[in-house]
Amino acid sequence: MWRLPLAAIAGLLFCQAPEAVRGDDAATLAELIDRHVQARLDSEGLARVPPADDAEFLRRVFLDLHGVVPSAERAAKFLSSGDPQKRVRLIEDLLASPRFGEHFGDMWRRCLISPLANEQRMQSDRFADWLAKRFNDNDGWDRIAFDLLTATGKIDENAAVTHLVEGRYPLSVTDLTDLSSRYFLGDRLNCAQSHDQPIVEWKRQDNWGMAAFFAQIQTPGRPKVVYLAGVQDDPKMTLSSLRDADAIEGLQIQPPTFLGGQPLKTDGDKTHRVALAEWITSRENPFFARAMVNRMWWHFFGRGIVNPVDDMHAGNPASHPEMLDQLSRRFAESGFDLKLLCRAIASSNTYHQTSRPGKESDSEAKLFARMSIKVLSAEQLYDSLVEILGPPAKAPGIDTRLGARSEFCQFFAGDGDPDPTRYERGIPHMLRLMNSPQFAGRNVSALISRAEGNGRTADDVVEQLFLTILARRPTSAELELVRTQLRDSDALPQTVHRELAWALLMSSEFSLNH
Amino acid sequence: MRNDITRRGFLSLAAAGGTLTGWLGRLAAHAADQPKAKSCILLWMSGGPSHLDTFDLKPDASDRIRGEFQPIDTSVPGIQISEHFPKFAKLMQHAAVLRSMSTVESDHQLASYHVHTGYHKRAGGVAFPSLGAIVSRELGSKDFPLPHFVCIGAGPRHSTRSGFLGPDHQPLDVLSPDRGTDFLEPLTNRIEFARQYDLLRRFDSSFHEAYRAEAARAHSSALARAVRLMTAEEKRTFDLSQESDADRDRYGRGSFGQGCLMARRLIETGVRFVEVMMGDGVGWDTHRDNFPRTRTLSAEADAGMAALIKDLQERGRLDSTLVIWMGEFGRSPQITSGGGRNHWSRAWSSVLVGGGIRGGQAIGRTDRDAAEVVERPISVTDFLATVCTILGIDYTRENHPPGIKRPIPIVDTSKEVSVISELL
Repeated sequence: MWRLPLAAIAGLLFCQAPEAVRGDDAATLAELIDRHVQARLDSEGLARVPPADDAEFLRRVFLDLHGVVPSAERAAKFLSSGDPQKRVRLIEDLLASPRFGEHFGDMWRRCLISPLANEQRMQSDRFADWLAKRFNDNDGWDRIAFDLLTATGKIDENAAVTHLVEGRYPLSVTDLTDLSSRYFLGDRLNCAQSHDQPIVEWKRQDNWGMAAFFAQIQTPGRPKVVYLAGVQDDPKMTLSSLRDADAIEGLQIQPPTFLGGQPLKTDGDKTHRVALAEWITSRENPFFARAMVNRMWWHFFGRGIVNPVDDMHAGNPASHPEMLDQLSRRFAESGFDLKLLCRAIASSNTYHQTSRPGKESDSEAKLFARMSIKVLSAEQLYDSLVEILGPPAKAPGIDTRLGARSEFCQFFAGDGDPDPTRYERGIPHMLRLMNSPQFAGRNVSALISRAEGNGRTADDVVEQLFLTILARRPTSAELELVRTQLRDSDALPQTVHRELAWALLMSSEFSLNH
Repeated sequence: MRNDITRRGFLSLAAAGGTLTGWLGRLAAHAADQPKAKSCILLWMSGGPSHLDTFDLKPDASDRIRGEFQPIDTSVPGIQISEHFPKFAKLMQHAAVLRSMSTVESDHQLASYHVHTGYHKRAGGVAFPSLGAIVSRELGSKDFPLPHFVCIGAGPRHSTRSGFLGPDHQPLDVLSPDRGTDFLEPLTNRIEFARQYDLLRRFDSSFHEAYRAEAARAHSSALARAVRLMTAEEKRTFDLSQESDADRDRYGRGSFGQGCLMARRLIETGVRFVEVMMGDGVGWDTHRDNFPRTRTLSAEADAGMAALIKDLQERGRLDSTLVIWMGEFGRSPQITSGGGRNHWSRAWSSVLVGGGIRGGQAIGRTDRDAAEVVERPISVTDFLATVCTILGIDYTRENHPPGIKRPIPIVDTSKEVSVISELL
């Protein structure tokens, strides 16, 4: 009974082929995206907004693929170039740079390591590095996911186990189930509150069936094992032998069971995690490819094709079901090639639209007639400030013993999986950005000195500041505003320039990815 | 005839009197329904204090359980607490000890999150608002220049966020009360700051006009509130050097005592919710050496909270300020071989003071070993619903966070919630 909704999803997927897609190249996939988005817009009678101008596109694609704003030189070169292929070339350059993997490593660290786990966060830089290398090598997502799910050993010997451990303990079976289901299968199984009771019921069954796969890395007695021996699979461990099993809320003792109710056939040679990882990352598993396509889409567009991004089940339909199916199929067939997927999305016309709303702002964003405006993540904010202003200065009240970037990201990060289109920072963040000498002090003065050097004219200095901070040239109105300021105020030009730089750094435009 | 008139007069008088009584009665009842508490101070005991060694002593338990501390009498006959809370013991008439807290999370982070928000943390799922953010949202006024939620000291920051209530209700974190609030002063002079902020607003307005994004509005709102705080007279509330040395000494010179003093100042200024975190690092997490550590911590907590309660009372603010003392759980009855106690969430204690509650009570009871609750178990949702009720907040009110399909009540009502009516 409870397997029905699952069967319904699976049936929707690979059993039918409404239109065969041939050719693996990104251009074909980009066309596929544009065709499906357009079809839905036509049926809704909604118009696409115009394409983004070069500056909007440049800053967006840098932030989305590298997690940082472009340098002033790079921005000036791109904006001045008359090459009709310059956007495509830029995407290729960005995908080829190691910054690509580092950025996606940051993103996946944020997903896989609980924001609540302070100890893990300290050790997570090596985890992010591990991920970055895999993404830069363009290993298939199936292989990366398999290694994450089955990692063994100590944290300092194998960074890939970091997300499986919390403090001295292996992560609990419930947390491991939650992580694996949300990030590799695209759905939350532990969602106890839903108005759709049958879905809750089959999820509960699936939840404990999946949790049973993780019992082997739990520790029966004192939790020293992770310290001394690292993450290990103990074939004797089951859900019912868990320490304090009676203190696990709602625990249902089940044998390891795959989503949909198929029990694990015991195979003495394999650990339960290996069996689970093989099942999850199999090309025949409809959930795995869909989950990643949806999450990557969410990364670029600020919302999933199924939204929320990790709520993919029969009760929550996709806005573009066929597009999701076909992209997922192509992604699986390509060997889960992440760069191909990024290239396809980033070169689609849909991605190149402006984020300026037309007549119906909300519907346009929901159906991808326009780009959504995203908030810079803590990492994007920090890396962009460093790109613009250089390394942070020492500031009283900011304890950087664990690393300036790590402290900054912890201070500015939101809890949980924040909605990338919502701005959630508050007064302390603003006070720190405005008034702390970490970036806003002598770093800004140094930036002004650099901009004023090279014998630049007054207008050129202003242009240089705009290019450095916002990766665009000032509009004539903005230029005029600064000219007036320089003419009418008794302040020195250097002071006016510093005020200008500060204002641009504090602006909504800088804080957001538009 | 005369008799009739008299009788009629008497009757009508009685009727009128009856009506008056009824009307007055309703008025009186209405007044009683009106919560007296307008603000709240949460004294957060990070790490989980041992209930057996603070507010639920078991002098008759076995050696492996009883521990070293003696119970002492309080100002309320029949209620005894640990000898290391002597100052607070004299104020028991204002307080209710809740000895039957019974919760499910026994991991620090999960339990802190659960007790602060009333919901379970699901790795990265919905970001639920902390109690302080809820109070800020429900009781705070928009035209007040300070944030209505201030969090003092180092502690579980992940548990004190505004979650889906957004930036308007994010706490202002004051890491060290001695330092006050960081970065309240501009790096330049006032004139330059005003000029550059004006410039910023002009750039922003054209961006806002072109992009009409909610995120941009939220960003500007947070910025505007920060600038308002910078220029507000009230920011001196954060400056403890304005207090006399004698007053500062009374609270205790540690971070917790000074945090309590700052909390009093903030409440007097009009802030609705102040959380003072005690126990940087391990704090009350006494897996080893429970007794010497709990003795020291108790003395610090006793000084700070007693000074706070006395001052609030003398300044006429105790009835309008609810003070909560609690951690994320209690500690195990069994003393370990290292002289410590482990985590224990099945039975533990919290304390409520002031806020117009009926003081001088001990509510709920644990068994002989303080291991299980035997009378009136209080869940996290019972507790938070009670706190909301004392503060006049309808805990069943539903929020509709953006992007979440289901409405989310202030306190999770999916399981039965029972307000502790003995307090009201």
